[in-house]
Amino acid sequence: MASILKTAASVGVFNTLLAAVDAAGLREALEGPGPFTVFAPVDDAFAALPPGTVQTLVDNPPQLARILKYHVLSGAHSREQLVAADNWDSLEGAPIPIRSKDPFEVKNATVVTADVVCDNGVVHVIDRVILPG
Amino acid sequence: MTATVASERIKAPLIPPSTHRYADVIHRLEAGGSMLPDTPENLKQIIGIYKAYAVPMDFYWRDLLYIAERVFLNPLPAFKYFISQEYLDRPNSYAGDQSQLRIWRGGEKAHPELLEFMERGEAGRMPKLLHHLWHDRVNMEFAEACMQAMLWHQGMGGRFNDYLESDAYKANADRAIKAYFKGNPLMLGLYALFPDMFLEQVRQLSTTANLGLFWEVMAPVFFEMSDIYDEGGFKGVPDAMDFLVNGIFAVAGRPIYHHVYIGDECYEIIPKSEGFNWLYEAALPYVEAVFYRTAPFRGTKSYNAQAGQVPADQADFHYGILYADVFPVGSAGIPPTLLMQDMLHFLPPYLKEIYREHKRGEEDELVQLGITFQRSMYNVTSAVIQALRCALLYPLDDTNPEHLMANRRFFEAQMDRFLRPEARLADIQSQDYR
Repeated sequence: MASILKTAASVGVFNTLLAAVDAAGLREALEGPGPFTVFAPVDDAFAALPPGTVQTLVDNPPQLARILKYHVLSGAHSREQLVAADNWDSLEGAPIPIRSKDPFEVKNATVVTADVVCDNGVVHVIDRVILPG
Repeated sequence: MTATVASERIKAPLIPPSTHRYADVIHRLEAGGSMLPDTPENLKQIIGIYKAYAVPMDFYWRDLLYIAERVFLNPLPAFKYFISQEYLDRPNSYAGDQSQLRIWRGGEKAHPELLEFMERGEAGRMPKLLHHLWHDRVNMEFAEACMQAMLWHQGMGGRFNDYLESDAYKANADRAIKAYFKGNPLMLGLYALFPDMFLEQVRQLSTTANLGLFWEVMAPVFFEMSDIYDEGGFKGVPDAMDFLVNGIFAVAGRPIYHHVYIGDECYEIIPKSEGFNWLYEAALPYVEAVFYRTAPFRGTKSYNAQAGQVPADQADFHYGILYADVFPVGSAGIPPTLLMQDMLHFLPPYLKEIYREHKRGEEDELVQLGITFQRSMYNVTSAVIQALRCALLYPLDDTNPEHLMANRRFFEAQMDRFLRPEARLADIQSQDYR
């Protein structure tokens, strides 16, 4: 098994997410032992945001880090564990609602691939960038 | 036959119609429209007023930052509206070639119409002090009233107000206060006796910086909208709303911070590293505090709080532009009238023409202008509602009925805020409301 970031890099559909993690200075934290649960938006999810959205965030690392931390939970949680609760507290501080068990929906994103187990946590692949609020 | 039924099924709405009192408006929002009906005159009115608003706004944001960063705790801030040349020349972070995000074409410098007005005013060329005393100037009092609404209401989402109460903030403010009054035993003595009074002033100045950073973005957005319209762009009101939605997303991650410059040193009272964002800590609280809530204006109407005429809960306050009866509000000295007076100086000719053709022509231009502003702010609020729907809920063309119902519940909850009789949503549906 590989770490969360190495696993993501090997798939080839998380280029924007990985670049954002680097820009926000979160690589070291996410390479740590964790464990973490990461809701990982695919490149198309970032591309669907209006022009300028990602650029402004990349230009401002603390603000970007806040949005990325909203995609991470402390601890490794499988789909089965996640759907057992209505809300999970993100590392950003705001709760992430589990809106549907089947199909598996996290806030307004659909989980397209669940339970990708890595050395330091679990990745659930989502089709939209989720935002606090 | 089968093919016909199938096509009907596709065409049939996936969810039943809304039964809300504002069902028509909700269906329009669900179709990607605005609360403001899509008519050529509405488009002309809102774009014209955005332009007239952007010019004084170009002064508001500069002076708000000047006050927050430079005037700071001056105990006698008689000259706080006499913006320094440095802040008048300060390049807009979101306009001009030096901007990191170059999506709006305007220049980074103060708008030429603003500079001309500052020079001449209504009364003609005279010393700046006389313009100020004659009140022939941009009404910064309006900007400060908006700031005070944001400071007073609080609890409108975001983490800004929580941070103002934190130990980290108090320590940062303490360092700045002591540096600012260094060598001034009287003020330092007062600070030792009444620390909370000083701290509250700094909180107000942090909110001042917040609003300045918010408007720094909105001014180039509104100028750009005016330019696009003049070039023949924007097919209708929804286009103008979409432009605002995209703008909200584009700058959502802009840092909100408060830096103070004392001598050559910068004191970071709210550092950028706190991660405060334009969308959560400035834009959404601004819309809530200023468009919806604010507070009753002194001198316009008497309220009996014991008779329940003023809501017990601040969240139910409804004295913002979306509820305003513009006619009595148009009295001297109260905040919306100050803004109307400011916008009057920068109206594009096509808007003046509309006002001349209706009601009492130039005599009630301020009232007509106020109602145009109300229409335009219903459109801005629509953009905020659509942006929130986009960020937190589902696309309008989603094919999952449960998702569409979630959108419906969100839109209906937003429209519930306009069920109270003071709301002007029903009025703006008609072009006769002027």
